[in-house]
Amino acid sequence: MPDLSHVGRRYLAPGQAVSAERVAEYASAVSGADAVYSPGSVPPAFAAVYCLLPSLAKVLADAELGIELAGLIHAEQSFEWPVPVRPGDVVEASAQVASVESKRGMTFVTLDLAATNQSGHTVCRGRSLLLLRGAGR
Amino acid sequence: MTASAAGQEVRPGDEMAPLSRTVSQAQIDAYADASGDHNPIHVDPEFARSVGLPGTIAHGMLEMAILGEAVGRWAGGHDRLIELACRFSKPLLPGDTVTCTGRVASVDHAAGSATLQLEATSSRGDRVLTNGRAVVRLAG
Repeated sequence: MPDLSHVGRRYLAPGQAVSAERVAEYASAVSGADAVYSPGSVPPAFAAVYCLLPSLAKVLADAELGIELAGLIHAEQSFEWPVPVRPGDVVEASAQVASVESKRGMTFVTLDLAATNQSGHTVCRGRSLLLLRGAGR
Repeated sequence: MTASAAGQEVRPGDEMAPLSRTVSQAQIDAYADASGDHNPIHVDPEFARSVGLPGTIAHGMLEMAILGEAVGRWAGGHDRLIELACRFSKPLLPGDTVTCTGRVASVDHAAGSATLQLEATSSRGDRVLTNGRAVVRLAG
């Protein structure tokens, strides 16, 4: 279970391709026949795919941190896009443990997310609040 | 003038057109494949019950994606979103209809942007997304 000693750990997931195909598949899964997907743009919540999930996968792979996907509850999410993400971009995603708090038998982990494109521009920043069952030390 | 998709001047208190969508287990499964998020609480009813849920629940990010779609439709394109945030307060269960609503909280004429307060409720009356907020770049 994560504890205060893990605050500041940073995880990198380089090489996330924002492919037009995956963007279209995502838009169709969200909106079905209503999809308003237009080639050349990326739905905002696709940040889950190029930023949140790949960096979270690196977080989950840290056995010392000890977060498991199964049963993990996503409690809050925010994103901002300083520069538009475009299909064809290749981004480096990162997550940093911003805080860890144990209360009422639960552990709350805040991650600060970022995604940087091939030109070095930050295309997305975000913050995730995750709830884990069980209290830390 | 700072305008929405409909071309009208945007003022605090303006309501966003609500967007409702019924989320089936098939859609949750499709979202799991499209996003790569295969947390078993979304796709495995037995596992979901083992951690105290009534059954599988929709991905929070699927709900947030529908919320983002609602804002994008209002603003005239999803690339007009500069910020989007929400709290996943209550689970959305397969078969439920989620309805996203919003109203303009403030307009920044100098920046050409508007801030919206957002929420989403389920057909069983739960406020599934709360503390929703978006900042959008306005047309014109």
